Amino acid sequence: MTLLTFENIHKRFGGVAALGGVTGSVAEGEILGLVGPNGSGKSTLINVLSGFAEPNEGSITFADIDITATEAHHRFKEGISRTYQIPRPFTRMTVRENVAVSLIFGRANLPPSEAIERALHWLDFAGLAGHADLPISELNLHQLKYLELSRALASEPRVLFLDEVLAGLNPTEIEESILMIRRIHELGISLVIVEHVLRVVNALSTRIMALNQGLVIAEGVPADVMRDPEVVKAYLGSRWKHA
Amino acid sequence: MNRRSAIRLAAFGFGAIVLWFVPTLQGPMGFPIFYLLFGYSLLFWFAQASSWNMFTGYSGYFSFGQGAFFGVGVYTTGVLAAKRGWPLIAAVPVAGILSALLGLGLGFVVFRLRKLQGEIFALVTLAVAFVVAAIARVSSKIDGGSGIALNEVKLPDFLGSFPSMMFRLGLIIAVLTVFAAATIQHSRLGWGLFSINDDEAVAEGLGVPTFRHKMMAFGISTFFAGLSGAVHAVQISYITIEDVFSIRIPLFVIVMSVLGGMRHWMGPIVGATIIHTLTDRLNRAGDLDLFGGNLTLSLSHLNDVIIGLLLIVMVLAVKDGLWPRLARRRWAALAAFVLGVVAARIWIPDMSPIAKFVVGELAAVLVLLPPPALVSRWSSRSGPPNTPADQPPEAASV
Repeated sequence: MTLLTFENIHKRFGGVAALGGVTGSVAEGEILGLVGPNGSGKSTLINVLSGFAEPNEGSITFADIDITATEAHHRFKEGISRTYQIPRPFTRMTVRENVAVSLIFGRANLPPSEAIERALHWLDFAGLAGHADLPISELNLHQLKYLELSRALASEPRVLFLDEVLAGLNPTEIEESILMIRRIHELGISLVIVEHVLRVVNALSTRIMALNQGLVIAEGVPADVMRDPEVVKAYLGSRWKHA
Repeated sequence: MNRRSAIRLAAFGFGAIVLWFVPTLQGPMGFPIFYLLFGYSLLFWFAQASSWNMFTGYSGYFSFGQGAFFGVGVYTTGVLAAKRGWPLIAAVPVAGILSALLGLGLGFVVFRLRKLQGEIFALVTLAVAFVVAAIARVSSKIDGGSGIALNEVKLPDFLGSFPSMMFRLGLIIAVLTVFAAATIQHSRLGWGLFSINDDEAVAEGLGVPTFRHKMMAFGISTFFAGLSGAVHAVQISYITIEDVFSIRIPLFVIVMSVLGGMRHWMGPIVGATIIHTLTDRLNRAGDLDLFGGNLTLSLSHLNDVIIGLLLIVMVLAVKDGLWPRLARRRWAALAAFVLGVVAARIWIPDMSPIAKFVVGELAAVLVLLPPPALVSRWSSRSGPPNTPADQPPEAASV
């Protein structure tokens, strides 16, 4: 069943078209990989779908309801959650309090005193329970990315956008993160992953959507998309076109 | 209502009832009436600093406009109670509502502009104070430039003599304001504001209705600023534009909150207590003769210099304000306070109680100055390692 659909999304920054009419959907239970070179519009698409940027044109439907005009906080409550390329924790709160915010304002809708308790469950899921009462400054990049996951998961989303969760991690951490993404998927959450490590996207995704210069250039099962001449060209330059 | 908020409500209620009878004790115990007025001023600053801090301290949106909301309160009493003969008790709530309407109107315009946030807000609030002052000056229905005398205002006589009545009105408003600040801090609204303070876009992405939260907090904050101003009009007794809209109110609420700590409702209370007792003593200290009368220092003129220096030292040495440290070193601070008071008593036996208090509180502040890292190094040598001294203040304060 289709959970999230977006049609003809245009987003312009000044005169530059970051998205030039993107159409697509996210089905329940799938892992959609978003690939494309730098500046192809992947992050912009996530921003538009999660409510961080307003599209200039187009419409977004989530669970059969038009959410094009709704604000980000509303979409989060409906079950659309995201992480950030560079982790953005609340730096003056503890690890546990960071997750509590999501439990207070997300789908869990808990009062603060209960949210603080419940936060431990999601920190435990990400292996951060032992760090619950530490300040943010005590966490390394890998842990910060896991904190973002706990925070995003605490609201029990239906769709989760993962914006380059693997960027900047070492090989061991990448392997751990891949297992983590699979565990999240097993919770029944649809995932949209944006990733530069193509090998990982290939291995994880059930479907891939390739963007270039704000347009969808290929879509389908990973093996097909990765062989698509347009995709090869976009990634490697035109001289590989006929290789 | 959970257990914690029930305890908070009971504590505030109990404190308010005890303080309510302070004016009753004035006669039998024979302490000077001055203390009631001094107490009123302290309560006034509690209300003003808390009302400012419950928005700016929690959300991080810096407001320079406290004077405008205070001023709306003062002039509502001036117009309704002095010019139109309303009883003071009726004018006060109207003042709160008018002030909140101004705050909400301002917020509606500024908070909508997504891309222009912190800095623009600070500038706009600063401008609003000038605009409100200008309107009051020009309009003869409000002030017209000549000021308003409030000696004819119908006061609530059932609250006692003038000093007793002022003390009790100040008490009601301070308790309501501080209770609101404490309640917000621990509520969903408080959590929303603290997350807006750290990263507004992320807060919005985690479900915080940022626009609504800012509006609510600013509305409540400006409501209490107006309420407190409306009562204070009677204390000033003759209100003028220059006085009401001077830099004093916005400056002092900022200094008090920064000094005490902006992420906890107790911060403004601590800050207001220190600043008010200190300025009061300095204003009354008169001249200090040094070197056998060869050099005379006028302490009252040095007042602003001393407050300014204090602020600089505090911002550099105690960035998060005194409260987080006080909460952690409460016994050391209490011991220093008692020692200070006792020392003052021995040194100058006929020193006034407020002056002794000031000596004690300055001694306590000294204990709070060394940074946590230094204290934990010292205490790890003599006590169990990793005492809570080096935990970040926020762990305890949110």
